[in-house]
Amino acid sequence: MQRHQTLMAAAMIASVGLGSAALAQEAAPPITDFPRNETLIINNPENPAKNPGWFNLWVRGAGNGTSTGLHQLVMDTLWFIDPDAGLDGSNYNELAIAPPEYNDDFTQMTVKLRQGVLWSDGVEFTADDVKYTVDLQITDIAKYAWGARFENSIASVETPDRYTVVFNLKEPNARFHALFSVRWNAAWIMPKHVFEQQADPTAYDFNPPVSLGPYVLNSFDPNGAWYIWERREDWDKTAMAEWGEPGPKYVIYRSIPSLDKRLIEMVNGDLDMIHDLTPEGMFSLADQCSTCRGWFPGFPYAHPDPTLPMVIFNNQNPMFQDSRVRWALALMLDPVEMSMASYRGAATLSAIAMPPTGTHTDDYFERMQDWLINYELDTGSSTIHPYDPTVGDRIAEMVRPQFGDAVPTDETAIHKSFAYGWWKKDLDAASELLESAGFTKQGNQWMMPDGTPFRFTLKTFTEGVINRLGTDIAQQWTQAGVQVTAEVAPRIFNDDLPLGNYEAATAWSIETWGGDPDLSFFLDSWHSDFVVPPDGTSRQPARNWQRWTDPRLDSIIERVRSTDFNDKPANIALGMEFLKLMVDEMPIIPVMSFNVFSAYDTRYWTGFPTAESNPYANIVNNWANSKYILTQLKPAN
Amino acid sequence: MREYLLFALKRFVQLAAVVFFGISGAFFISHLSPISPVETILGEVTGRSSVDPEAIAQIRQALTELFGLDVPLWQQYLNFWGRFATGDLGPSLLAFPTPSMKLVMLALPWTVGLLTSSIIITWIIGNFLGGLAGYFQNSRLLKLFGVVSIGVQPIPHYIVAFLMVIVFGFLWPILPISGGFAMNVRPGWTIQFVLSILHYSILPAASLVIVGMGTWFLGMRALVSNIVTEDYVTYAELANVSRGRIVGSYVIRNALVPQLTALSMALGGIFSGTIITEQVFTYPGLGSLLVSAVNGGDTTTVLAVSSMAIIAVATAIFIIDLLHPLLDPRVKAA
Repeated sequence: MQRHQTLMAAAMIASVGLGSAALAQEAAPPITDFPRNETLIINNPENPAKNPGWFNLWVRGAGNGTSTGLHQLVMDTLWFIDPDAGLDGSNYNELAIAPPEYNDDFTQMTVKLRQGVLWSDGVEFTADDVKYTVDLQITDIAKYAWGARFENSIASVETPDRYTVVFNLKEPNARFHALFSVRWNAAWIMPKHVFEQQADPTAYDFNPPVSLGPYVLNSFDPNGAWYIWERREDWDKTAMAEWGEPGPKYVIYRSIPSLDKRLIEMVNGDLDMIHDLTPEGMFSLADQCSTCRGWFPGFPYAHPDPTLPMVIFNNQNPMFQDSRVRWALALMLDPVEMSMASYRGAATLSAIAMPPTGTHTDDYFERMQDWLINYELDTGSSTIHPYDPTVGDRIAEMVRPQFGDAVPTDETAIHKSFAYGWWKKDLDAASELLESAGFTKQGNQWMMPDGTPFRFTLKTFTEGVINRLGTDIAQQWTQAGVQVTAEVAPRIFNDDLPLGNYEAATAWSIETWGGDPDLSFFLDSWHSDFVVPPDGTSRQPARNWQRWTDPRLDSIIERVRSTDFNDKPANIALGMEFLKLMVDEMPIIPVMSFNVFSAYDTRYWTGFPTAESNPYANIVNNWANSKYILTQLKPAN
Repeated sequence: MREYLLFALKRFVQLAAVVFFGISGAFFISHLSPISPVETILGEVTGRSSVDPEAIAQIRQALTELFGLDVPLWQQYLNFWGRFATGDLGPSLLAFPTPSMKLVMLALPWTVGLLTSSIIITWIIGNFLGGLAGYFQNSRLLKLFGVVSIGVQPIPHYIVAFLMVIVFGFLWPILPISGGFAMNVRPGWTIQFVLSILHYSILPAASLVIVGMGTWFLGMRALVSNIVTEDYVTYAELANVSRGRIVGSYVIRNALVPQLTALSMALGGIFSGTIITEQVFTYPGLGSLLVSAVNGGDTTTVLAVSSMAIIAVATAIFIIDLLHPLLDPRVKAA
C-alpha cells in the first residue's frame, strides 16, 4: 500500500509539474498570429451566428450574423447619418455623390452615384445594382429584408444612365431616402452581376461575400464566434476612400456574450473595442485598465445612444386613455431614484420625447429648457410647474463622493451627462390629477372610476439596466398606491409590444438619427395609418408601440413628409411642436437615453472618438456607421 | 444462441418503440411552444420601420405556408414522419432554407469531442481511484481524495467554470477562455489544428472533469466497499492470491458492470450538449444551438437535436443491453 501511495503522489506531482512547465511557456494566450499593430479586435455583441457561412444579408431569417463586420465593412449604400458629429458633418454621401434630389411634390427622388467604385471582384458599381436591389426584393416581400418597405413606397425605378437612379414613389415622401440612409443599418446595395446568376437568390449563401466596402473576408469561425476581415488592396476604389485609408489591415469581430469575459479580454489586451458592459463592469474596467476608457473620459463613461428608454402605455387600453392618468403616473416617479436604480447614477435623463444625445442637445434641449421651466400643468385643483431643472446637479452631487473628480462640475457637462431636468416627484399633484379623472383612494390603494383597483402589469427586459428601471418604477408606483407588477418579457420587442399584449412596458419607441434634427426616422411610423386594432393578433409595425393616435400628431408627420430634409430650421420647428404635444399628452413617459457602456483600449490603436474633444463617431461598434472610425485609427507606437 | 437472438430482437423492438414515442413526444412538446418562428421573422422584417399592416398580414400568411404551419398539427406530425423516413428533418425555420441537420452537424463534433473525452477521462480516473479507495480503506491519501470529492461533487459545474475563467483567464492569464480553436489556425486535419483544439478545450474540459470525477469516485468506492466483503474476495485473500489480481480481477471488474451502464447513458446524453459550459467558454456545441432554437421557436432544429439525442441514448442502452449477457454471466439473455 505504501508503494501505491508513493507512486500516486509522484504521478500527481509530475503531472502538475509537467502541466505547469507547459503552461509557463505561454505567458498570455495569443488569440491570433495577426500582428497587433495591424489588427483591430472588436467585440460583436451578437451571439455566435447560427448559420455562420451565410452572408446573404438581403434574406431575412437565414440565421446569419449581422454585426460580425458584415454590415460594417462589406455592405454599402447611398448615405450614412452618424448619431454624433461625423467627420465632416453627420451626413455622409456614401455611394451617392450628393444629397437626394426630390421633385417639387416629393413623388420622385433622383440620386447621382459615385463613379469609379468597384466591387471586390473588380466589377464596377453602377445604377443597375441599385435598381436590381429594389426590383428583386420587391418580388418577394416575405423573404427579402427590404421587400415590404420597398413595396410600400416605390412605384418604379429608372436608370437614365450608369450613374443616375430615379425612384418614382407611390406617394409624396420627402423622407424616402431614409430607406437608403444608414443609422444602425439601411437597405444595402446588391451586386447584380453576382445574384442574377443564381437560380434562387434566396437560397444563395453569398460565401465569400463580394464586398462593396473596404474589407473582404479573410476567414471565419465555422461555429460563428469570430470573423476576420482583411483590407482590400483596392480600398481606394470604394466610397469610404473619401474619408481616408482604414488604419487596420485586419479587423476581427469576436462574439463574446458574457459581459465579464469582455472585460477580462480587454484587460488581457485581446480586445480593442467592447460593445457594451454593465455599469459595474465599466467602473471596474476604468479602475483596472489605465489605457481603457469609455465615451466620456470619466463618470458616467457611457455613450448616450439616440434611443429613448421610456414607460410605454398601451393607449388602446381604456385604463390609459386619459392624459391626466398618464401625467399622474409620471409625477409619482422620483428621477434620481430611477437613475440610481438603473444606471447607478450614470443615466442621462430626458423629460421630453427625445434622447439627449448627439446634436439634439443643442437643437432641442437648449431650446426647450425655458419652455419646460415655465410649463404649467392644471391638475384640476391647482396649477403647478412640474419641471425640475436641478435633477442633473442632484445626481452629480450624489455620485461625487464615490467617483470624485471623474464627475463633471461644469453646468453644460452636467446637463449633457446627467440631465437638463426631469419631472418633480409630486404625489399631491398626482392625487389631484387622479381625483379629477374620477379616481378615488381607499387606504393606500387608488381605485378607478368604475370602482375597481387601479392595477396593471409593467413588462420589462429580462436583465440589464432596463430591467432594473422597470422593477424600480413598478415599486415606486406601488408605494404611491397603484398596484403594479413588474414582469419580464424575453420577447418584448418581438411579440409583446407589436401584438399589443401588454398594459405598460419599459422599452422604447423613439429612436432618432442622433446627428440630425429630423425626426422622421421614428416619427413617420407613428402615423395613425399604421395603427392596428387591439385584437391581440394584428401586428403593429415599428415603432408606435404605444398605439397612440392624435390628429395633431398626424398633421405634424404629414408636414414632415413634405418638408425638405435639409431645411433644418423647419424641421426643428416641427420637432419642437411634436415635443410640446408629447408633454401635453404624455402618451409615453420619457425617461433617459440608452447609455451604452462601450469601451476601447488605446494600447494598440489611437484615434478613437471622444465625447470631450473629438466626437466624430459613435463608438458603439455594432452600428454600421462605426466603420468611419477605422479611417482615423493609427497604431500606438 | 437462439435465446440470445430472441433477446436481441426484443431489445430492438424496445429500441424502436423508445425512439418512436420519444421523438413523437419531442414533436408535440416543441409544438406546444408559444414562440412562433413566423412572428420571430416578422419581427425582423417589420421591426425597424413603417410597414403597411396589410403587407404584414401578407408576409405572415406567406411564411406560415412556407414553413408548412398552415395545416393541422396532426398533418404536420405525419409530414414530419414522412420526411424523417427519408432522412430529411427539414429546413431550420430560423436559418431558412439551410437544413436543420446541417446546423446540427456543424455543432455536433465539438460537443462529442468535448463531452466524450471529458466523460471518459472522468470515468477512468474516478472509477480507478474509487476502486482503490474502496479496497484500501485505510489509505490517508485516498481518504483525502474522498473528502475532496464529497466537497467538490455537489458544486455546480458552472461555478467551477466561472472560477476557472477568473483564475486562468484573469488572475493568471495563461489559457484561452473563449472559442474552440485559435483564430489564425485554419480548420483541417493538421497537427496545428488538433493542438489548438486541445489547447482551447483545457478549461472547458477541466471544469467538467473536476466536478464529474467525484460522482464516479464515490459510486465506485461504495460498490467496491460492498464487494470486498463478498465471500469470494475473502477466499481469494485466504488463498494468497496476489493483491493486484484481487483488486483488478475480483473487485474492480465486478464493480464495473453497473458503472459501464452508467457510462453508456452518460455518453448517450452528450448529444443534448452542455449548455452552460458552452455559454461560459463561448465553446461551440449542440447546447447553444438547442437554446437558440427553443428561444426562436425553430421547431425543426429543436426536433433535429432532440431526435439525435433520443436515438443516441436509446442506441447506447440497446448496445449495453446486448453486451451485458456477454460481459456478465449472471445476466441471463431471456
